[in-house]
Amino acid sequence: MLSKVMMHRIVTPEHLEELREKLLRDRASKTTRISVCAGTGCNAAGSRGVGDALIEEIRTRGLDTSVELKETGCHGFCEQGPIVVIRPQAIFYRQVKPEDVTEIISETVLKGNIIERLLYVDPATNEKIVREPDIPFYKRQSRIVFGDNGEIDPAEVSDYITVNGYSALAQVLSHMSPHEVIAEIKRSGLRGRGGAGFPVGTKWGFCAKAKGEVKYVICNADEGDPGAYMDRSLLEGNPHRVLEGMIIGGYAIGASKGFIYVRDEYPLAVERCRLAIQRAREYGLLGDDILGRGFNFDVELAMGAGAFVCGEETALLASIEGQRGVPRQRPPFPAERGLWGRPTNINNVETWANVPVIVSRGADWYSETGTANSKGTKIFSLVGKINNTGLVEVPLGATLREIVFDIGGGIPRGRKFRAVQTGGPSGGCIPASLLDLPIDYESLQEAGSIMGSGGMIVMDEDTCMVDIARYYTAFLHDESCGKCLSCRKGIQRMDEILTDITEGRGKEGDIELLEELATVVKDTTLCGLGQTASNPVLASIRYFRDEYEEHIKRHYCRAGVCRTLAKSPCQNACPAGIDVPRYIWLIGQGRLDEALAVVREKVPFPAVLGYTCPHFCEAKCRRGQVDEPLAIRLLKRSAADNDNGLWRANSRVLPPSGKKVAVVGSGPAGLTAAYYLAKLGHEVTVFEASPVVGGMMRLGIPEYRLPREVLQREINEITRVGVEIRTSSEVRSLDDLSAQGYDAVFVGTGASRATDMGISGETGASVLHGVEFLMDVNLGRSVKVGKRVAVVGGGNVAMDAARTARRLGANEVTVIYRRTRAEMPASEEEVEEALREGVRILYLAAPVGITGVNGRLQVQCTWMKLGGIDASGRARPVPVEGSEFTEDFDTVIAAIGERPEVPDGYALSLGTGGGILVDPDTLATSREGVYAGGDAVTGPASVVEAIAAGRKAAVSIDRYLGGDGEIDEQLAPPEEERPVIVEEGERYRPPVDMLPLAKRFEGFAQAELGFDEARAVEEANRCLMCDLEES
Amino acid sequence: MVTLRIDGLDVRAEEWWTILETARFYGLEIPTFCYREGLSPWGGCRLCIVEIGEGTNSRMVTSCTYPVTEGLIVRTNSKRGIEARKVLVELLLASCPSSKTIQDLASRFGVQKVRFKVEDEPCVYCGLCVRICAEQMGAKAIGFVNRGGDLKITTPFDRKSEECLRCGACMYVCPACQLRCQGTEAPGVVCGSCLCPQPTCLDSYPDLMCYMGAAGDCGTCVTEKPEQAK
Repeated sequence: MLSKVMMHRIVTPEHLEELREKLLRDRASKTTRISVCAGTGCNAAGSRGVGDALIEEIRTRGLDTSVELKETGCHGFCEQGPIVVIRPQAIFYRQVKPEDVTEIISETVLKGNIIERLLYVDPATNEKIVREPDIPFYKRQSRIVFGDNGEIDPAEVSDYITVNGYSALAQVLSHMSPHEVIAEIKRSGLRGRGGAGFPVGTKWGFCAKAKGEVKYVICNADEGDPGAYMDRSLLEGNPHRVLEGMIIGGYAIGASKGFIYVRDEYPLAVERCRLAIQRAREYGLLGDDILGRGFNFDVELAMGAGAFVCGEETALLASIEGQRGVPRQRPPFPAERGLWGRPTNINNVETWANVPVIVSRGADWYSETGTANSKGTKIFSLVGKINNTGLVEVPLGATLREIVFDIGGGIPRGRKFRAVQTGGPSGGCIPASLLDLPIDYESLQEAGSIMGSGGMIVMDEDTCMVDIARYYTAFLHDESCGKCLSCRKGIQRMDEILTDITEGRGKEGDIELLEELATVVKDTTLCGLGQTASNPVLASIRYFRDEYEEHIKRHYCRAGVCRTLAKSPCQNACPAGIDVPRYIWLIGQGRLDEALAVVREKVPFPAVLGYTCPHFCEAKCRRGQVDEPLAIRLLKRSAADNDNGLWRANSRVLPPSGKKVAVVGSGPAGLTAAYYLAKLGHEVTVFEASPVVGGMMRLGIPEYRLPREVLQREINEITRVGVEIRTSSEVRSLDDLSAQGYDAVFVGTGASRATDMGISGETGASVLHGVEFLMDVNLGRSVKVGKRVAVVGGGNVAMDAARTARRLGANEVTVIYRRTRAEMPASEEEVEEALREGVRILYLAAPVGITGVNGRLQVQCTWMKLGGIDASGRARPVPVEGSEFTEDFDTVIAAIGERPEVPDGYALSLGTGGGILVDPDTLATSREGVYAGGDAVTGPASVVEAIAAGRKAAVSIDRYLGGDGEIDEQLAPPEEERPVIVEEGERYRPPVDMLPLAKRFEGFAQAELGFDEARAVEEANRCLMCDLEES
Repeated sequence: MVTLRIDGLDVRAEEWWTILETARFYGLEIPTFCYREGLSPWGGCRLCIVEIGEGTNSRMVTSCTYPVTEGLIVRTNSKRGIEARKVLVELLLASCPSSKTIQDLASRFGVQKVRFKVEDEPCVYCGLCVRICAEQMGAKAIGFVNRGGDLKITTPFDRKSEECLRCGACMYVCPACQLRCQGTEAPGVVCGSCLCPQPTCLDSYPDLMCYMGAAGDCGTCVTEKPEQAK
């Protein structure tokens, strides 16, 4: 087909129309059109093999006359490549392999059957989606520039012509004066897509007015931001569209020559451009007397060597001229004196690609899309920690939330959204609090970032914001042309300071020095590279200053990225800082006693943690990215269950210091503080209000999770070092304690005041509070629940209450939770066990009122739906109007949270949530000599966090009493060199023995029985030893 | 002629003048480092920055390269500008504390401490040597090579240059080069005084006729550069 028209120049606009009609007629004979994405992303995923197999299959079946195959440019949904779309039905197959091709032809093309396994599954609904436009990723985009990419073969000008290609050019040459073209572009409101957002029509106007016979237009395709590839994909997938824009621009400005400045490391884009220019010349769309309208214009390729700075227009001009790519002073602007001193107009690839659609559909139509000052659409390359990696085109004014969550599908592996970097290394990070920001040029600038060319890098909780700033700064240091001192040395110095901070050498004053330096670099540098180089630093300081401070003051990287600060992700995630990799390795060697000694170096409750810890470590385990995270909690339990006392050999108690310390509350925080203080030689007395010792470990956690004797063993170790514990001894006033001669006090009174639901009828006798219910059961008081029990809430207390109710005889237990399983704060295994024990969970439901009817409770509920992300990083539940329903229960247990309740007699300053206000570094309260920690400060948290607070308080109190605060001990034998064993392939956790269901409801017997030693060793050997990895 | 306002003073200037030329014509001092009369302005050191425009639209430009325009409002010594210059001098001093020119600038700007890691770079990339070589000597023997941390000034491909006239103009204009200031080590980074450089290559090249008087290891008289040799 091509050969027939190839040598025929299109000599008039009418001729172009005839050709288009003919092409469309030819195409009508084909009943099926298959497009295979051959963009660079899909290519890397193997689309070339799929394309070849399709060609072969179509040929051998003799379907050439009815089936048309296109190897197209990038479709945008790179995450799912290789992509095959079958039209006219628009059936979308993803991750297609060459083996699937025969079936695609025989089933789908010939019989019209859908191949289920190749369909895209919407992760939100688990629904299989057949048609491309129905996929949420595409459905929410407006692909006015990028849309044709998926339909045409970029190597064929005829394909572009069938999608109305070059009709805008014909219209311009036949019916519009250059002045009218510029007016139309001005009216459209199109702004430069390269980043700065200068109004395109105005820019053209300047160049058109400039004096000079010879003028140039240039397409800036020097796309160099890490993670950005929209310009490349446009050039690869639809080069004629860019050419058409340039020819129209040349006509408007009065230029007869254009250049495409493209980097050499875009080989496919270069090849496609070269071919497009050649074809356009053959068709008479470039060259002399285009479409017979007397306009001459030609385009040449100019190759860049990959310098980021050459994206800056004056450096780009120098580069085309054959000079070193160095920016120069503007004015004079290129519009007056550009390439070789001639008036020159430079626009970015995407800008040029917008021009044809503005001409053919009109400025009025175009300017309907977008915001007041930013019209049209913008293509973003959505990369990083995002489910749907790819290129997306959205109207300007779309919010980040729409792009990241609705189109991008959110963050993989349930991680929390942290920030999104727009504008690449020249932009800044935008935090979760600004997710609803409508994106346009001005709003991004106000937020401390820039639009840039459209890179959008999504970051999750595992991204260190200081490290990201360092990465971009290092990139810019490498890419600075070196002309300006401020840029060359200023960026180098910022890089040095950031490197120091990420490697634990940060100093007080570094943040302020960075800010000062960044401001000077921004203010005094010549070109855009340097002027925006400070953005990553300034924006990350603006939104994540606390992370900088953590790095500098506490040598802590919460994301676990900075290797000098975070030895391993598991240890880094542990609030108590237990050397996880080391004890896991010891378990793997069968040395459980030594492993326990390692754990004991940081915590006095290894068994309690082994039985109940919410294991923040496992969530960060690197093995979790391969198959399944290590069962770190269960391994710790194995070590604790096999205690032979080895650790005691090196455990020391210092001689008496003569100082007395009172600890209020015998929970994990109080007992930990007491333990370490007693070992440091102080005389410690613990005052416990209740008749039993252990705080929430004893009163909150049900016995089937933590057997009493396990807890008691560890409490015994604490009294063994000399701690005196007085039960049923409530402390009402701290003054009493000083009167009794105590030199220092630690307050660890916990958080056990239940939160009310704030709905009608919740004060009835059959409405219980979760924590009070668990305490009563744990104290052996008689507690009665009915047969049908509702538990409101989604935390561990709710799960404990539900499973306890089952053991008390309730046979129908329903948990009502207002979000979904993914947002549930309860530990995964607690939810699993609750479900296994027959607990029903109503997700996305919330009670709105309770009515007592004949001794039963009618609970009115409403269904909820998830709205935007709130400050906690979780989706906010919103009631679905008119969705109320009612269920009957005998008992309702409200477990929606607890708060601290500190007696007034303590005379301590409290925070808004009722927690005690402390200095976060020392845990000192507003009263001298009084320290506080655990739930009483933070509100309900975990045992391990309380232990961490107890440790910190012990250090501070010892220092306050004149000691050195040294609580760390070497209990295990010296660390040995561990040989690294690289394990290939997937391997999962060995099974954990559980008490049979039938036996669970007989009482409170332990439900989870743990690993035996052999399984513990097997499991420990799954550790990848990522802490030994060279960074 | 155009009219502009510099530091509150309405002045007239030829339209091809830069801000710096205009200011100096009227006796207003703007500090410079990489600027030299007789060479084209480069705008690399940024020390001659001035603030143009007013209010939120004001911005800083290098006066040596910025052409005057009608109605332009210029402040040569605004707070923003002075503070920036101090940091710029600190950056220079941190990389090249052995330069007398830079130590003098530090003293002039009251820069008394260096908060960055101190380096001992032989070059501050002001480009004076490149420009004098090309523009006054017509030789074009040296130029900038690479970018970022790899930036350097050298002959093409680091080879001994056929174009080099051995005139020494490059060293004559250099504010930083090892030759110019090889005094005893400064007490701390901020020096204040510099001793006379000692001739070094005269020992190895007894027949050398050096135009520079206090000659050193500039390399122009050496047939094989040490770097090239390895």
